[in-house]
Amino acid sequence: MSITKERFESGLSYQAYKEAMTRNRERVEANEKRVVLDPETVRALRSLPQPLNVVVLAEDWCGDVIANLPVLGRLSEEVGTLNVRIFYRDQNLDLMERWLNQGKFQSIPVFAFFDERLRELGHWIERPASVTELRARKRREVFAANPEFGNPDSPVDQLPEDVRTRLQAELQKMRDETTVFANAEVQRELRELVTALPVR
Amino acid sequence: MSPVKVKITYCAECGYEPQTLELAKALMYEFAHDLASIELIPWEGGTFDVRVGDTLVHSMRRDGGFPESKTVIAAVRSALAAA
Repeated sequence: MSITKERFESGLSYQAYKEAMTRNRERVEANEKRVVLDPETVRALRSLPQPLNVVVLAEDWCGDVIANLPVLGRLSEEVGTLNVRIFYRDQNLDLMERWLNQGKFQSIPVFAFFDERLRELGHWIERPASVTELRARKRREVFAANPEFGNPDSPVDQLPEDVRTRLQAELQKMRDETTVFANAEVQRELRELVTALPVR
Repeated sequence: MSPVKVKITYCAECGYEPQTLELAKALMYEFAHDLASIELIPWEGGTFDVRVGDTLVHSMRRDGGFPESKTVIAAVRSALAAA
């Protein structure tokens, strides 16, 4: 599949996207600061035989966008070989239809890579599976260590408000503590994806 | 008569606010002050749960997707009749 030059150029640059954010910009910029660029990934992206155009689907309310778009943003600023254009998912459902997660979910962010002639080469969706797995395990550990949180599979509305607030804080702490790993995994997956693309 | 309360727990990182507000609005218009309260609970992890009284009438995890407003309205009507 391809995308027209006009359509691609109508997307927002990373900087323009941040400036247009109506919420969570501070979280995106805080995550940017926490990204430790992986030298192997930087080297691999700088060595690409041609620059890549990257279509991103995003929304500013989405936790995975807030977490993972800054990784791509930092990489693109560092390597100079990724030309990023960001589109709002809900205003570009025709694009979203191309990259549904498991063929049915409108998961974001989507990072879709195109060559110089805007032919699609590959794409990445949402977050690494390794991050989902690690956080699921850590979440179970949070519940195991705090019996007052109840069963991890039970609806939280039955918890007393103060307990629910503590649970929310513990889960946020767990996400913060796994951010370094998550950022590294996003870079690893992007490096493995991009270096396997048929770029000539 | 026992008060009937509705709780809507929604994922605040998933963009579910429109569905949450649409359901809350439908309940407000349908039942006005017959309901004791409608509580909106921002959560995470793709949650969209609706509880009427003690009964979980919809769970995205269990049932998939969002509930039809009419389904929740019917559950509230039953709870009010039994209260």
